Amino acid sequence: MCVSSAAGVCSSSVEQKIYVELNETVPCVRLLNATHQIGCQSSMSGDTGVLHVLETQSDLDWILSSGPHPPYMVIMETAFFNRSVMMRMKNSSRVSGVAVIVSKTGLAQNFSPHTTCPNQNTGVYGSELANCNVTVWNPLGNGLSYEDFSFPVFALKDENQTQVIRKCYEDHNQRVNGSAPHYPLCAMQLFSHMHAVTDTVTCMRRTDLQNRFSINPEVLCDPLSDFNVWTSTRPLNSSAKGHAANESVVIAAARLDGRSFFWEQAPAAEGTVSGIITLLAAIQALYPVTQEAPPPRNIFFTFFQGEAFDYIGSSKMVYDMEKNDFVIDLKNVHSILEIGQVGLHSGRSLWMHSDPVSRKNDSVNEAVSEMMNRMESAAAGLSVSVGHPSFSQPLPPSSLQRFLRAGPIPGLVLADHQKSFSNRYYESMYDDAENLNVTYPPGLTPDEQLVYETDAAKSLAEVATLVARSLYLQAGGENNSLSNITADPKTVAQLLYGFLVQKNNSWFRSLLLSAGPGPPQFYIGLGPRIHGPVHSVTRFVQYILANLTGTVTNLTESQCQNPSELSTENKDLFSYFWVSGPASVNSTGEPFCVRASVRLSEAVSPAFELLEYGSRNYSTWTESRWKSIRARIFLVASRELEVMQTKTQQNC
Amino acid sequence: MDLSSVFFIGNIMNLERIPNEEKLSLCRRYYLGGFAFLPFLWLVNVLWFFREAFLKPTYTEQLQIKSYVKKSALGLIVWVAVLTTWITIFQHFRAQWGEVGDYLSFTIPLGTA
Repeated sequence: MCVSSAAGVCSSSVEQKIYVELNETVPCVRLLNATHQIGCQSSMSGDTGVLHVLETQSDLDWILSSGPHPPYMVIMETAFFNRSVMMRMKNSSRVSGVAVIVSKTGLAQNFSPHTTCPNQNTGVYGSELANCNVTVWNPLGNGLSYEDFSFPVFALKDENQTQVIRKCYEDHNQRVNGSAPHYPLCAMQLFSHMHAVTDTVTCMRRTDLQNRFSINPEVLCDPLSDFNVWTSTRPLNSSAKGHAANESVVIAAARLDGRSFFWEQAPAAEGTVSGIITLLAAIQALYPVTQEAPPPRNIFFTFFQGEAFDYIGSSKMVYDMEKNDFVIDLKNVHSILEIGQVGLHSGRSLWMHSDPVSRKNDSVNEAVSEMMNRMESAAAGLSVSVGHPSFSQPLPPSSLQRFLRAGPIPGLVLADHQKSFSNRYYESMYDDAENLNVTYPPGLTPDEQLVYETDAAKSLAEVATLVARSLYLQAGGENNSLSNITADPKTVAQLLYGFLVQKNNSWFRSLLLSAGPGPPQFYIGLGPRIHGPVHSVTRFVQYILANLTGTVTNLTESQCQNPSELSTENKDLFSYFWVSGPASVNSTGEPFCVRASVRLSEAVSPAFELLEYGSRNYSTWTESRWKSIRARIFLVASRELEVMQTKTQQNC
Repeated sequence: MDLSSVFFIGNIMNLERIPNEEKLSLCRRYYLGGFAFLPFLWLVNVLWFFREAFLKPTYTEQLQIKSYVKKSALGLIVWVAVLTTWITIFQHFRAQWGEVGDYLSFTIPLGTA
């Protein structure tokens, strides 16, 4: 095998007999901020270990102390993926990697790898209120996502592949009557070598040095970035930056992203999707009424990307507003309503969180109280009720905190939790459709599931109606138009299906070409320079907004791309989207042009614009680059051959 | 390297047939050349002329050749000590020096501090 690869001859047939490549794996990657590195790292030529399945406590002792063939590659059952076991693995030299089996069997009652006090350093509060002194927002958090592991950790999501690994283990590595297994043993090799180290400052400095002095420059890390999506009931001129004359704006905000321990896995159902869907349905309910009976103030809807990583999107928007580089500025903002986690209220009340520090100012306090009263009156005819938590409790982690850093603005955060989060799987891989009780009866086709109204859909539609009516009142609208504002449960059901179960459904396909099966993942990613035009979730929200609020025009495709040539169309006020059209059985659908006032704004942390990589005020999160991430299993006949086998690379 | 050049080097390396004055001038040239930050010249000088200087029966030029060899050896030891010390310090502390360490490096390893 070594001789043939030295001669350059393709040795894949021999390799295929030795190695079984595992294709369906999800790695944990390294992320860096101004001061630390988190995540996982493997050696440059991969980490190898003898397989051992961790199912019982005696397995743990075998791996950590008594097994005769260290280092071990641990196949971890779901129940053992918690902080105490992982920290013991981290401190042991006998573990060369971990592969976690992701399944619902054995899943604990709660699992949140996030910290107990999310985004505590980049919010608005100083030391008295910032460190969760009053309320611990995520008490079930074990902080695993923010630990630094020096071995690779992969997730095994595909059941068939896990079976292959188990079979290899059972055939060769299983202990017989308590005695150690003999060679040949089944081993696994994980490759996830990360290029960046230490922190963002170091990594950016080394990238700059490489670009200036090296013949073959390599980028070591990339800042997390993507786009925010915004729209407004009255179109705003996007070429006029800075203070907009005679505009008093009510901002309605939600977050667009989530994260988990593993790379690009973030179903974020309760944490993020509940807020997105509520705001989208509220926009759909509000739009026709605001065109017929426009309220005095403009309503500005925005979806912030990157809020999980120290408020990337909202800090960028506030920064642009302060620099007069955005369509409105902070003096235009009348008040802010943010939709937090609202999916788990199920018959209980919703809570309006406000900021006690800014409310010490009388005018702000009055404005916030008025906002709460309007919300309570909007909830009057609905089955959902609202309350407010104690006055001295600070705001939960929310984009509103970044606006408050710039100045006192009356604002509320609507959430389903009074004190700590109700979400038991906050920012984890298990915050999925089941966590929101979105389940469909068996035997439905995908198209039937798309429109099936679950209880979750109905309850979220109630919340959306509440939000829409409150926003209308807040914008100065009349009470008697309120009954016309109702969210459509069918839209909510479709959104739930598309965002939680299957993004490749007939509605999304009629808007734009979607990629791949399964639910969308809400991790922010690296943005347009690396991943192509726009991240898929941002794109979905953009096109759905255009679908819900836009008007169909009869422009041709070329006119749709260049509408400035036509005098009737205004590129400054509107965006134009070429949409595929609904497909039917016979045809693929006729595309058409939609005009909507939906826009994207860049969501990259101001720290990277200002080149302050060690900034304490802005997010400095970057993701490391890597060459290859893969996994393979094979049999080792002895310790010496194990070394030789791990060094064989694919030459073809 | 073909066979003829191997023979050529072998003839040069073989000091038997070279007259003593030429041996002395070779040794001196290598000794002086080493001062141009070329310690390998001193290493070659020491290895090549060691037998000439200390193991052959005495001849007139041998005293000077001996002194050149000794001085080359001294210079070589100084260079080895300085380089070893610097390399050890750099390998050990480069990561801790942060920015300075990066500016002093030609290639920085990926993925490790």
